[in-house]
Amino acid sequence: MEVKIENADTETMVKMIGRLDSMNSGEVEKAVAPVMESDMKNVIIDCSEFDYISSSGLRIFLTMLKEAKKKGGKLSIRNMKAEIKSVFDITGFTPLFIFE
Amino acid sequence: MIKIEHLSKNFGDLVVLKDINIEIHKGEVISIIGPSGTGKSTFLRCINLLEVPSGGVIKINGENILSPKTKVNDLRQKMGMVFQNFNLFEHLTVLENLTIGPIKLLGKKKEEAQNKGRELLQMVGLAAKENSYPGELSGGQKQRVAIARCLSMEPEIILFDEPTSSLDPTMVSEVLGVIRRLAQEGMTMAIVTHEMSFARDVSSRIIYMDDGLIYEEGTPEEIFDHPKKDKTRTFIQRIRNFQYKIENKDYDFYGMNNAITTFCEKHFFKVQQIQAILLVVEESLQLYFDKDNIIQRNEIIKSGGGINLSIEYSEKDGQIVVSFVTTNDLPSIIKGAEVSDGISMAIISGMTESVEEDEIDGRLRLIMIMHLI
Repeated sequence: MEVKIENADTETMVKMIGRLDSMNSGEVEKAVAPVMESDMKNVIIDCSEFDYISSSGLRIFLTMLKEAKKKGGKLSIRNMKAEIKSVFDITGFTPLFIFE
Repeated sequence: MIKIEHLSKNFGDLVVLKDINIEIHKGEVISIIGPSGTGKSTFLRCINLLEVPSGGVIKINGENILSPKTKVNDLRQKMGMVFQNFNLFEHLTVLENLTIGPIKLLGKKKEEAQNKGRELLQMVGLAAKENSYPGELSGGQKQRVAIARCLSMEPEIILFDEPTSSLDPTMVSEVLGVIRRLAQEGMTMAIVTHEMSFARDVSSRIIYMDDGLIYEEGTPEEIFDHPKKDKTRTFIQRIRNFQYKIENKDYDFYGMNNAITTFCEKHFFKVQQIQAILLVVEESLQLYFDKDNIIQRNEIIKSGGGINLSIEYSEKDGQIVVSFVTTNDLPSIIKGAEVSDGISMAIISGMTESVEEDEIDGRLRLIMIMHLI
């Protein structure tokens, strides 16, 4: 699992690459910590190379969303594959997020 | 009609039949099914003494056929046998194949035997072939002649030893059609077969043999729809099984996932189906090793012999059963999930058709059913 963070003027792009499961969720949590510590005005999670998510990953997405909302920011998910989106669907997470 | 008690058969050190006990009644059609090499054909061959049993009793109409006084030829006249490879006399015509036995062994006159032979050829749909030689016939036709020849000896029971297994698939139905007709006419038959739908349709009783024993028997509905025992179920539903042992919380997650993926790929699961299974397994283990009580739960699991993960895939209907079995000292996983944040159980419920928990042999089992779409 790899997390790439790119900061631009108006947005922060977090690119998730690979599989986010219970074994590596701790590392991912650490990797996205700087984003959550930022003002989180406009965060985009790019999932074009994201292949798997379990509940541990969902919890990280949820924490990021809460953090963004708390700071009056916006968090969107971009290019998520259908099979991963289905995990958001069945857990009822889909309406919480903005999918682009 | 036939009563078999404690029948056994060894070939040297190899035990093929262990302890067979069965009664066959007049008019019954019994199909004997089971994996290859489990003694089905040997059992049939023991009944008419083509193989000499190592032990036990076989009584036909009350007479112990293993007694030295038994006249084996008289016995064989009561019992017809149809073999995989037809065993026709290649140098005789079809009609001669049907008349030689009745003339030589039953003392019938040639004309009477020929008339009966023609009648039987008519019945098996081969009246036009009476002057052909076996070498001029297809496999299906040869087997129909073999059945007619068997009937020409007016047997009380016919034993079929995989009558269609050496036939081209296009010829199977013509032979099964003849056997089906005999069943309708009330002929007593014991059939070793791999044709499951045929066995289901034609039989009054099914015997499932495994490891030299009658492992389970019952009506076709009981055996095919509600098999009680594991091996029967595995065979009937063509179940492919994956097992993995999780010793404690430090199990090899990626090793396990690789093994599951390899199993799934071997059975041509699609990528998203594999992901769904991996997800169900991962989320279940999240519940087993609940973070809030991980030390305590890990100790219980470790001292209780770990968790046995099983994934069973039925090629018959595409059903996948994922189950985890561990010590029942561990509190209910489903109840535990109710007090968690619910995400793991939501994923499991969304990916499966049912999630249940029960006790099996004093161990706690979490069982989840999925279907390949």
